[in-house]
Amino acid sequence: MSLDVAFRASEVLLALAILQQSLEHMCGPRRDWWIFVPRIGLCLLLLSGIGTLLALAGLVGISMVILWRFQGPYNGGSDRMGLLILWSLSLAQGTPSNLWQERVFGYLAVQLVLSYFISGKVVKLMNPDWRSGQALRDVFAFSAYPVSENLRRFAHSPRLLWCASWSMILFELVFPFALLNQKLLIAALGVAALFHFANACLFGLNRFFWTWLAAYPSLLWLQARVF
Amino acid sequence: MVHFLTLLLPALIPSWRFFETIEASPRVQWAGVQGPDVSAAQWCDFRPRPSTLSIWTMFVRLFWNPRWNDGLYMVSLAERLTLASTPHSLAEIFRLVGREHGAQSAPYLQVRLVFVSRGKMGTNDLVEQVSYLSHWRPRDTIP
Repeated sequence: MSLDVAFRASEVLLALAILQQSLEHMCGPRRDWWIFVPRIGLCLLLLSGIGTLLALAGLVGISMVILWRFQGPYNGGSDRMGLLILWSLSLAQGTPSNLWQERVFGYLAVQLVLSYFISGKVVKLMNPDWRSGQALRDVFAFSAYPVSENLRRFAHSPRLLWCASWSMILFELVFPFALLNQKLLIAALGVAALFHFANACLFGLNRFFWTWLAAYPSLLWLQARVF
Repeated sequence: MVHFLTLLLPALIPSWRFFETIEASPRVQWAGVQGPDVSAAQWCDFRPRPSTLSIWTMFVRLFWNPRWNDGLYMVSLAERLTLASTPHSLAEIFRLVGREHGAQSAPYLQVRLVFVSRGKMGTNDLVEQVSYLSHWRPRDTIP
């Protein structure tokens, strides 16, 4: 994937992700509409492909207003990843140097790999609760995430959750090796997208799904560029 | 400016430590009270989750999930409030509760945070602990 194609694919996916979030905010209080109505307009501008840099700059400005309004990310990790993609794309598009464009976009790709690898190795593999499946049992038993009460019954399936824990840990650990081959990387990203899809269905984390997808083109580009 | 950077930098230089430990999980509860010195008679969960959800509903929520995302924001606010009580977190919790339960008969609102966690080591019994109790607020002062 060429750099230009990867930029455009990321822009379109990010614009759709931010558009989806902003439309959801229109259900909120009207006093926040002054933030989200222009944000919707800028997403449409970014989708159109006309005035891309202006749209990205506007979205960066609004991202700062949103951080201030909610005193942090509204939706935790997904908002943080959204900010990282937005700022990376804006800086990369804003710099005339091809070298710096590659460096900034490459940074986003590396962060995407780390998002899986660190949460697999450092967080889960090092933690006895994750290795035994207890952490996932806790997620289902009492965390705020299961979208319905009947999903809590999974907390009473320790073998299933042990298998799920280790599947996650192993996938996240081997994810960086997928960079060695393009087909392997596409397959790994497909599995990762399924993982986010499951999280969206079971835990209501729909914003993670759309936001992480928007970072995938950077990794496809980096793989083609380096290997 | 420094405060703003503390909000922005974790996004630009992320740690990616999702679910490092499964901490006690907050539930926001609210009560309508008749007066400033009256104890709340009954606490209600803010937006209790449904007992079941169809697979179709779960799928649709991939595209449209504003209420649930509001609830996740409420969880963040509850965690922030316990770590370092700020006027913003409390005001936002009251705003979200007030928006939904503002038309109740009691003239004042009170909120509390109940944290649910696993009990002693080796058991899977759940323990609930009230970690925060707000002062009452007149409903008509909640935006």
